[in-house]
Amino acid sequence: MAELFWASMTELARLIATKAVSPVEVVRAHLDRIATLDPGLEAYITVCPERALDLARAAEGALMVGQPIGPLHGVPYALKDLYDTAGIRTTGGSRIFAERVPQADATVARRLGHAGAILLGKLNMVEFAYGPEGLNSHYGHSRNPWDRAAHRMAGGSSSGSGVAVAAGLAPGALGSDTGGSIRIPASLCGITGLKPTYGRVSRSGVLPLAWSMDHVGPMTRSAADCALMLGAIAGYDAADPSTSVLPVPDYAAALSGTVKGLRIGLLRAFFLEGATPEVRSAVEAAAATLAGGGAVVDEVDLAAVMTHAAAASMPIVACEALAYHAELLRTRAAEYDPDIARRLRVGAFVSGMHYVRAQQVRALVREAVDAALARHDVLLAPSTPIVAPAVDAREVTLGDGPSDVRSALIRFTRPFNLSGHPACSLPCGFTPAGLPVGLQLVGRPFDEATVLRVADAFQHLTDFHARRPVLG
Amino acid sequence: MTTPAIDLDSLRRGARLAGFDWSDAELEEIRPQVENALRLLRALEAIPLREDAEPTTLYRTV
Repeated sequence: MAELFWASMTELARLIATKAVSPVEVVRAHLDRIATLDPGLEAYITVCPERALDLARAAEGALMVGQPIGPLHGVPYALKDLYDTAGIRTTGGSRIFAERVPQADATVARRLGHAGAILLGKLNMVEFAYGPEGLNSHYGHSRNPWDRAAHRMAGGSSSGSGVAVAAGLAPGALGSDTGGSIRIPASLCGITGLKPTYGRVSRSGVLPLAWSMDHVGPMTRSAADCALMLGAIAGYDAADPSTSVLPVPDYAAALSGTVKGLRIGLLRAFFLEGATPEVRSAVEAAAATLAGGGAVVDEVDLAAVMTHAAAASMPIVACEALAYHAELLRTRAAEYDPDIARRLRVGAFVSGMHYVRAQQVRALVREAVDAALARHDVLLAPSTPIVAPAVDAREVTLGDGPSDVRSALIRFTRPFNLSGHPACSLPCGFTPAGLPVGLQLVGRPFDEATVLRVADAFQHLTDFHARRPVLG
Repeated sequence: MTTPAIDLDSLRRGARLAGFDWSDAELEEIRPQVENALRLLRALEAIPLREDAEPTTLYRTV
């Protein structure tokens, strides 16, 4: 049997369901790899070996007696450590919550359990999800697995999710995305990550950063696995009033393997023009690949509204984050990472008027993206303007000038947190130094199926998603 | 767009109005971030909006 830790979730589900492998073998292969590699990668905050093996043995027993099984029966996964897990600490990447043990699972954790998935552990992240670099002074800076010589950023805030999936420490994970926190680590770590439409997946039991911008979604090594995980977690939840009652389609069935006839809008102004040359050329090549596969690709210009995204998102995130943290900042400020505490405090200087004005501008962004998607099935852009920077990098040079790293990382992802549209990052190339480049696909509201269809078709046309970092 | 300067006394009063009693050292630490936030707020004010533009709060949920 090939190395089980590199098998996809789809393949593992099939192998387990047909009794070709035991869930115990699969879980043990991942736990062994975590034990070997995680001390150097710092992807996990908490690993749950005994619990995972107990569940694997129960899953094996269920198969042996012919019980009905779910679509992820016996398949391991991991959670960003802001999803509540009953009886397992949920730290939010913070020392403040180091001993916080929830009584109940987040809705999505419960749904994955019902589908048969087995939790391996809880993943590292930026403290309280407030930052895109993937750094954590309490639990360690997760290390990007694509560079063994230099310590490069994994991207955040779902840094551990990106590293664990890229390094074979979990076949899939859940991240969360407020300004790009699924798509940025997916881009920097060379995996596939989906931010679904706002309202498609429940946020109940997920520690918030900014309620109106937070999205929950899968991070895997292929679009097909994203479809599998999304199908298990999507849908209305009475515990989250923002969730939609729209039925959940069969995402896996939508993966036709072709883009023939689809209309794809390439975002050049603000996006391609703002990327570094190596990112720009990889994304342009990806557009050409999709055109070669039968898609109709033309250019779309959304620069006029995209330039408003930073001004609109700052007041929203600052105010909503401070609202959640106000009492902790009054009583336990010294326990925050100083940089996180400084950023949270800025929210005190944003007025209600500015918050509402930002929400008005947000409507403009949404309308502009909707208008572009009235003429196109998906929009295409880089996920990030840069590849993984060194962990101590502070400034970068983009296609249109210098930028601080933090602003650069969220520049292309944040607009779609404002607009709420589904957006997926997937690998579309590698630099000469071997670092992955991320491509972003943006779709119509609640049309994750088409986004995943295009991503999957691209992964049939290329092998970037199948490359693995050399580790250990 | 130039970065608006803000002095310590203004920071102190702003924080107290918001209900926080932060030390002068803590306020000095966040001065660059607050000045950057003020720059973004000026940019936000300059964005042309329709008079009837309705703010997005919980939206598009079907």
